[in-house]
Amino acid sequence: MRRTETAGLTAALEARDVQVRFGEQAVLRAFSLLLRAGEKAVLTGPSGCGKSTVFRCFLGFATPEAGSIRIDDTELTAGTVWRLRQRVAYVAQEPDLGVGTAAEAIERPFHFRANAHLRRNPDRVPELFERFHLDRDLLHKDVGALSGGEKQRVALISAILLDRPIFLLDEVTSALDRASKQAVVDYLRSRQDATMLMVAHDPEAFSFVSQVVTLPGNPKMAGAA
Amino acid sequence: MNRIVDIGVWQLAAAYLLLAFPFAIMLWYRIPMIGETAMSLVRMTVQLILVGLYLQIIFRLNILWLNALWLVVMVTVADVSIVRSCSLRLGRIALPLFVALIAGTSIPLLLFTGLILRRTNLLDAQYAIPIGGMILGNCLRADIVGIRTFYESIRSTEKAYLQSLAQGASLHEAIRPYVRKATQAALAPTVATMATIGIVALPGMMTGAILGGAGPVTAIKYQIAIMISIFSGTAITVALGIRLTTRNSFTGYGALDATVFRDRSKK
Repeated sequence: MRRTETAGLTAALEARDVQVRFGEQAVLRAFSLLLRAGEKAVLTGPSGCGKSTVFRCFLGFATPEAGSIRIDDTELTAGTVWRLRQRVAYVAQEPDLGVGTAAEAIERPFHFRANAHLRRNPDRVPELFERFHLDRDLLHKDVGALSGGEKQRVALISAILLDRPIFLLDEVTSALDRASKQAVVDYLRSRQDATMLMVAHDPEAFSFVSQVVTLPGNPKMAGAA
Repeated sequence: MNRIVDIGVWQLAAAYLLLAFPFAIMLWYRIPMIGETAMSLVRMTVQLILVGLYLQIIFRLNILWLNALWLVVMVTVADVSIVRSCSLRLGRIALPLFVALIAGTSIPLLLFTGLILRRTNLLDAQYAIPIGGMILGNCLRADIVGIRTFYESIRSTEKAYLQSLAQGASLHEAIRPYVRKATQAALAPTVATMATIGIVALPGMMTGAILGGAGPVTAIKYQIAIMISIFSGTAITVALGIRLTTRNSFTGYGALDATVFRDRSKK
């Protein structure tokens, strides 16, 4: 794995001793992570160990009962989350693109006030479709009719178009064929400016990352240092 | 026009003979709702007798504050009924919904009695209680559909909802498609009723006015005014109900708070 010189750079993503509990079950315990601006890491571990929960914490969708979450050196709170989310591009595992065509799904975020200044970004869609081996006819197809791999790439393109410096990518290549997966990996490698935290079951495919964080498999008591 | 003919106790009892038909059908097809039906009939009878006696006193006294209090009681009962029907937590939803119901009932009611009927006493029992009751009854039906659709839709498509927050939507931007869907579902029955009224069925108020001795032209004027009032009231109460209840139903981070549902186990 590649090591980068990071001292002095902004802590883009930071979790400190985070504990999350769903009911009686501790999903994350004493989880800590630090990614400085431009660093890339893979988060791995067996199913159910809390990888997606880490992402939910960074997005404010799960609230830790202990510990703190920081984005760009700022603590994530109910007051700061709305601004900090605009720093993060998120692609969910098995993304739900809502209703309508793929083109409408890609256009939708640009109707939000926070993204109003990016309204011309969808002009880059043809170039990105080509890069990720997607047929442009897919744009007019209903999202419900897209395959898992097509949905993943459309969701990734939607995230890229938001021009955000931090990426949270939850198994974005899990449903892709070899060529498409390579195209996605090549793109992610090329984004040296971006901070990336990626969930993957095959960290070796992401050889350009500087850290591989493995969460232990105990579903009742998962944590990582 | 003649005044309405009163129904004697024995004649009313005769009306119950008609129940032989539905009960016979239930017995024949072994439909398992005889007990439930019997209980509903008992409740209907007892409730209406009590309400009839109470309303008789209210109509005789016709005191402004007492009429207003009766409307508040009706709104409170509707409020609790809606929250329970939507399987939501009373403590979180009842108060904001109460405010929405008060607004959705009182605005069209006061315009009806003040602007259309030109009553000096805006809460005159003879008009305010039946008209308020009709508006509120429709608000209740609309709110059950609207509020339930809103919360259930977000819960069932939580992933897409959270995705829009992640993409930079404010809370209001993220809930807007769900508000649209819920409001449309709530208003659709009234819109459909307006399109077929008078052809498919004679509406309640018109029937009541005719039975009360009014001419058909007067009756249709009342019916048109009440339909518009109902439509306006349902729109106000659904939109305001969703808007006001969201304050207590979402976390500060914009996620739907699962504890707002009574059945937390369902995902």
